[in-house]
Parts: sequence; C-alpha cells; structure tokens
Amino acid sequence: MRVGISHLGNISVMIKAWSQRLGGGLILPPPNSQRTLSLGVKYSPEGLCLPFKLTLGNLIEACELGADTLVITGGDGICRLGYYAKTQEKILRDLGYNFEIINLSLSQQRVWGLLKLSKRLSNNASWFRVISALRFGITKQIAVDKIERLVQKVRAVELVKGTANRLYAKAIEAIDNADDYNTLKKVQIDYTDQLNHVARDTQAKPPIVGIIGEFYVTLEPFANQNVESELGKLGVEVRRRTFISAWAKFSFFFNYLGLNEKSKIHKAARPYLKRDIGGDGWETVGEKVLHAREYDGLIHLAPFTCMPETVAQNIMPSTKENIPVLTILCDEQMNRTGMLTRLEAFVDLLKSKRRAGNNTQ
Amino acid sequence: MIKVGIPRALLYYQYYPMWKTFFEELGAEVVVSSPTTQTMLSSGSSRVVADTCLPVKIFLGHVLSLVENCDYIFIPAIRSVKRKAYNCSKFLGLPDMTRAVIPESPPILDIEIDINKGKRHLYQAIYGLGRRFTWNPFRVRRASLAAWHAHRKYRELMSGQGLTPPQAIARLAGEAEPEAPTSTQATIALIGHPYMLYDEHISHCLIHRLEEAHNKVLTPEMLTTEERESATARLVGKAHWTYEDEVVGAGGHYLESGADGVIGLMTFGCGPDSQMMDMVQRRAAGLRVTTFMSLTLDEHTTEGGVVTRLEAFLDMINRRKRRQIEVCV
Repeated sequence: MRVGISHLGNISVMIKAWSQRLGGGLILPPPNSQRTLSLGVKYSPEGLCLPFKLTLGNLIEACELGADTLVITGGDGICRLGYYAKTQEKILRDLGYNFEIINLSLSQQRVWGLLKLSKRLSNNASWFRVISALRFGITKQIAVDKIERLVQKVRAVELVKGTANRLYAKAIEAIDNADDYNTLKKVQIDYTDQLNHVARDTQAKPPIVGIIGEFYVTLEPFANQNVESELGKLGVEVRRRTFISAWAKFSFFFNYLGLNEKSKIHKAARPYLKRDIGGDGWETVGEKVLHAREYDGLIHLAPFTCMPETVAQNIMPSTKENIPVLTILCDEQMNRTGMLTRLEAFVDLLKSKRRAGNNTQ
Repeated sequence: MIKVGIPRALLYYQYYPMWKTFFEELGAEVVVSSPTTQTMLSSGSSRVVADTCLPVKIFLGHVLSLVENCDYIFIPAIRSVKRKAYNCSKFLGLPDMTRAVIPESPPILDIEIDINKGKRHLYQAIYGLGRRFTWNPFRVRRASLAAWHAHRKYRELMSGQGLTPPQAIARLAGEAEPEAPTSTQATIALIGHPYMLYDEHISHCLIHRLEEAHNKVLTPEMLTTEERESATARLVGKAHWTYEDEVVGAGGHYLESGADGVIGLMTFGCGPDSQMMDMVQRRAAGLRVTTFMSLTLDEHTTEGGVVTRLEAFLDMINRRKRRQIEVCV
C-alpha cells in the first residue's frame, strides 16, 4: 500500500515518524512549490479557497509518484473543509487517477479514528506498535514546535539575519533522522542551546505581533509567503497559538477529559460573536479581544473567500479592546512585494505607536 | 403596536409567511423592506469588507433601510434545520455581524435554530423569542403552530402549483398576481438560492427576461422536497449544507429530466456554491444531454454582459431543438 497525504506546515515530521515505525509505504509529495499551486489552481473550481487548491496539488503530486491510497482529512464542520474530501475525490477521479480514498474526519472520530487508520495502513500491526509509533511521532512534533517557538523569538533579535532560519532547517532534518527518544532529546537540547547562543542584539525590545486566523494558512509558510520569517527580518517577535503539536495534544487527549484549550478564547469572543461559525472565525475574534493588551499588533491571515474569517473580519473592528490588525488574504495571486510593503508599513506603525507611548510617559 | 422589521433578503424568500404569521399572532406589526435598489446595495457594501458576498451586502442594505421605521429587527441565526447538515457561516454570524457593522440598528431579535441540539432547544429558542411580546406560553405555542401551518401552505403552493416565492407570497396576501406569459419556446430551469433568483436587482430580472422570450421557467421551489433530496443523494451523497439541495438537488433533477437548458446562478465568493455548482457542472459535462450555463454575479456585473450571455445561451438551445426536429423529419 502506497499512501499519499497532503502537507500542512511541518506536519511531515510527525507523519514520517509514524510511517517509519509502522512500516507502511508512505508517499510524501514534494514540499509545496509553485508547481503544486499551479496544479491545484488548474483543476479546482475557481471560487474555492487556497487550502483546498494546495492540498489538491499535493494529492495530484502524490498520485504522480504512484500513491494508491489517499488520506484526506476532513471534518464535519460548517466550513468548506467538511466537503473537501468529496470534491477532491471527484476531481482526482475525473483526472483519471486510480486510488482508494480514506476520509479521516478528525473532528468526529478523533484519536480512535486515527488509531484504527494506522492499524489498517500498517497491515494490521499490533496495537502496541501502533500506539508507540503515534506516541513517538507526537513527541517529535512537540520537539519541532518547541524549537519553532524559540526560533520565532530569536529571529527578531539575531544580529545576522537568517541564522535562526538556518538552524531551524537543520533541526528539522536532525529530528527527522532521530531514531529513538534519547537521540531526539539530545538533538532537541543541542539545537535549543545553539539557538540560545545565536549572536543577538541585547538592547533590542522587539515589538510583539500575534498571528491569528485560519488554521491552514497560519501554519503553512508557503501559503502565507513565509510571513513569520519576514516579520523576523523586520525585527518583530511573532507569537502564534496554533501549533500542530498543541492541536494534536488537545484534540487527541485532553478534549476527552473535558478540557478545552479554546474556552477562554470563546468566552472573550462572546460579547461580539455568540456562537461557533465554523472554521476558526470564533477564535479569531476571541484572540483579538484577548491579546489586545499583551501584543503590539495582530496579523490576521485568511484565505480569500473564507466564509468564517470574512465574518470575523467584519466583526473585529467593532470590539472595545483595540489593537492594530492587518488582515492579509492569501490566494494564488498573492504577491510577495505587495505583502512586504504592507508588512513594513504595519511594523513602522507599531514602532511609532510605541515611541509615542514612551514619550507621553 | 410593536413593529418588527424583516429585511427582504436572504432567508426572507424561504420563511417569510412563517415569520409574518408568528409575529402577527403575537400582536406585532411586521414591516418588510422594499425590493432591492442600487442605493441599498451601495449603503450595504459601504459597511463591510470588500470580499463579503453580495447577498450579505444587500441584506445589510435592507437592514439599513429599516433602521428608522421599526422597533426590532428580526435576524435569526439558523445553524441547521436538518440533522448533520449545517448552514453557511454567514447565516450563523449574521446577527452578530449586523450588530457589529450597523451599531445604530434597533435591538436585533436573534434566535438560534439548531436541530442538532434537540427539540427542547428549539422550543426554548422559540419561546425565548415569543417572550418579548407576551408572557403567555400558550399564546407563543398557538402563534408558532399557526406559523408552521402558514409555512406548509406556502411550500405547497410552490411545489404543488408551480408558483415562485414572490407569487406565492402575493397569493397568500390575497394580492392579484400578474398573468404569466404563454410559453412556446423552451423550458429553462434556473437553479440557485431564492435570494439570488427572485431578487430582481441581483439577477437582473433573469426570470422576467426568460419569460419575455417565451420560455417556461422552472425553479428549485417547484420541486417537492423529496425530489430534490433524492437528486442530491444521487449526485453528492449526503448533503453537507442545508440550502444546497436548491442547487445540487434541483440542478441534478433538471439536468436528468424536464428541461432544455439549466442556468446555474451563483454569487462570487459564495463558499458552498463554489463546490456545489462545480458538482452540477461536472454532472452536466458527464450527461451531455442538457445545456448548462453557470452565471457568477457580483456587484459589478453589468446588465449588458448578462443579457449577451443569456441570448447566446437561448440561441444555442433553439438551434439544438431545430436540429433535433430536422433529424426527426
């Protein structure tokens, strides 16, 4: 069985670890590229959102590499994601690919669905192997995400721009190659150490910008034109709530125990938006309210024509808690220079606002 | 008397008789905004970000026109009216969004309808709405039963007698309706949401234009719910969105039988339709019997463009019919 799956940020670390331990044939499509996007755009209905187009491009590239089983993650939600699997299947079949489709609906089946799926894809491996493989994968993901959090901080203050990004790329490779928990731990400590010792501007007090918005485009650097790295170059520290490891931890384990990481955010959003509107719309409004005091500014990322985010974008300006928000809509027409100009202007605004605040004090 | 405003947009076309009966039974006066105008569209679009969809902009325009002359505005948040089928985010966020972008609006009566949460939640929601007008739960019950009855009658008028929603609303109100022109040419099915098809400003009087050209026009409401749902099941399996059987079900049904041509009407940026209309288009390409045209509209669509495409489409159908007759002869 040759299983194809689409990319999402750095999730490939976790998936590679699973397939290594379980021994199933995994076809990981090449990283998102202009070709992926062009393929996706060419065969998708034009009005659909960027995550659909990119994941479709990934699946086409996986099929080209000979995948015969495709895993499509969907949900049972309100937004279009709930319907991705059916439309993508139809498009791929019309293109003449022959494959078996597995619709992994994580919002419904949660960890049980994932366990059953892994058992099936690994030719009925023992439960012990399945669970230990999943655990190892999630541990790797946690390690990568911890390093990424550190990178977000270092990028803002490093003296030689690009050092943190280089170290991050190396760290991902090293974590990918780690075979057991000991090596993984060593690698993690090693790179944390290296990142902590990057030559930095100790005087700098970088402005803090929060990234909010839709799950896929906040996580996938290709979809948002690497906005975090660009902000780092401008000397801004980036904070983000969505991380794959955090999401996996909560939706696989903690939500069963009745813990909801989002309840605080939902409570903050309630005066302005009373109910879940699908996707991440509710969280976007809530995070704006919640972070208005802590951060200097927010960057709201959303795919063009995203239904929940459009509603959130309309509601956000009316909140009492005030903080500058820059909405960046991501689509296939997005151009790097245009985005950079907007980012520079936004960061200038934050810096001058901060200076004005200091002067009045 | 308390005046309740109902914007003539979005779900108005689906539920107006029901809502009107409910509020009138509770002793309120119902004020409906006038048909869409360009001013409404401009005032609505000026309040929201550019990529909000056209029907929502128009809805806000209607709300703005009601602000001055009513005490409440009724904007329900309809999450689902069928188990495991949801609604577009824009319907869910509508009351909150209106409150955010039109701060001067009178209090908004928002009621959350979610069948997934069970009957009790539904009854509580209806009672909560009725409480604004009366303390008496039995009066609320009577009003909601009357409303339900009115809704059934409304749907029956449409599916049984082939009336369009505006015609059915007119008949329920006892107004005289215009004589339908005789049709001789072709049967054209229009698929799309009622708030697109029957809003003459958005659709550029599409129905009227088709009838002027002596065509018989079929719309999704003229099918029974069963017919639409079975066609939806054939085409896409389980429906994901509630109001999509208007597009997929009706599209599938008319493509398979009963129409010479099918026109799919959607707005730019509509989330559910971007997927659903594609499904219908793929079906049409696979069947190769019925001519299909998809029209995507936004606030910039000029009348000339729509008319040109419509004429070309009708010419194509007529030529096809002529050729079929020649072959027979």
